[in-house]
Amino acid sequence: RFHGEGYQEGYEEGSGLGMIEGRQYGTLHGAKIGSEIGCYQGFAFAWRCLLRGCATEKDSKKMKALESLIGMIQKFPYDDPTYDRLHEDLDRIRAKFRQLCSLLNVQPDFKISVEGSGLSF
Amino acid sequence: MKDSLVLLARVPAHPDSRCWFLAWNPAGTLLASCGGDRRVRIWGREGDSWICKSVLSEGHQRTVRKVAWSPCGNYLASASFDATTCIWKKNQDDFECVTTLEGHENEVKSVAWAPSGNLLATCSRDKSVWVWEVDEEDEYECVSVLNSHTQDVKHVVWHPSQELLASASYDDTVKLYREEEDDWVCYATLEGHESTVWSLAFDPSGQRLASCSDDRTVRIWRQYLPDNEQGVACSGSDPSWKCICTLSGFHSRTIYDVAWCQLTGALATACGDDAIRVFEEDPSSDPQQPTFSLTAHLPQAHSQDVNCVAWNPKEQGLLASCSDDGEVAFWKYQRPEGI
Repeated sequence: RFHGEGYQEGYEEGSGLGMIEGRQYGTLHGAKIGSEIGCYQGFAFAWRCLLRGCATEKDSKKMKALESLIGMIQKFPYDDPTYDRLHEDLDRIRAKFRQLCSLLNVQPDFKISVEGSGLSF
Repeated sequence: MKDSLVLLARVPAHPDSRCWFLAWNPAGTLLASCGGDRRVRIWGREGDSWICKSVLSEGHQRTVRKVAWSPCGNYLASASFDATTCIWKKNQDDFECVTTLEGHENEVKSVAWAPSGNLLATCSRDKSVWVWEVDEEDEYECVSVLNSHTQDVKHVVWHPSQELLASASYDDTVKLYREEEDDWVCYATLEGHESTVWSLAFDPSGQRLASCSDDRTVRIWRQYLPDNEQGVACSGSDPSWKCICTLSGFHSRTIYDVAWCQLTGALATACGDDAIRVFEEDPSSDPQQPTFSLTAHLPQAHSQDVNCVAWNPKEQGLLASCSDDGEVAFWKYQRPEGI
């Protein structure tokens, strides 16, 4: 009987600790993804302003990639961590960002940190 | 079996280094080699021997892993561990680096030109495949970055006549890509190999794809379109790829390269056991379930791992190979009698 009670108590305590750890991990991971996508979005908005009014054919290709990236970011479900294509879509966003950098001739070199500082392009 | 492959010449192409890859120009008159010494060398025939006609140095800071000629033969692309791809323009015997493609995060493992000459593909240890478009002014633009593989991508190759791209990876799969509504997508994944897939080669018709792997097998894959006669299931309007043949038990180590002769249909392999092998399809075999026979096996073709084999596109039976021992060897293959 004591064995059973001991097991029960231990299980509950373990579950509790597990929940806390899981929540911390989730928060950290979510913040990292949010921070990364936030970077891409800021980058895209800035460049959209910079390229506004440019009319060459090359620029229209850049604009197309820019709008595509912004579209992907806006469609990304921020409030559903159980979305089954989360990582697939995240990879697509990353790929579009890299393609955009190549078209704009910009080297992406920013550090992503949860503490919020250290963003340099 | 030994007499089917005869040595014509051997050259110390990249002394004190590894020779990683070879590519014949479309005319079949020049062979480009690249290696760990960061150089690309161009070889031409003079009588019975092969001499070095050009050395392309100052292009890369690290090992050059692959080279590829454009379909017109006027350009050569070189992919390097320094994360860049150089495009060289040929001017008689001189080559000038006209552009350097950057963007990959680390080592570029392969580069390939599409048959139209307007597209180029590169792949890298950063797990991505990039598709580049080139315009009349030799300007290159990245049109797509594909993150489908989950590990290092080892090789990319284009279909011989369609704008279809295939990639091979450390994640044990082969993936196929095509353009859909202005963007490139991965539309098929070929699973079956039990380890890294190192190289790929389409057959002359483009209907079949050969892949070679660290699992010591060569697999032949065939594309089946929806509503095919053979009753192979397809999902929606996407073609399905099926493994129709596996060559196992022939190689004792990793197979690093496979080459499908566009003139004769013979399959050559480069193996980590220092040997070169050639296979030919049995003429009476069922096209849906082909069988291949080993028609040549040359142990000790090189003194170390054979990294690449390349069939000359114009001269039947002329095969070039290169190795970790830094040498390039030229061979004459003759299909043995009675097979």
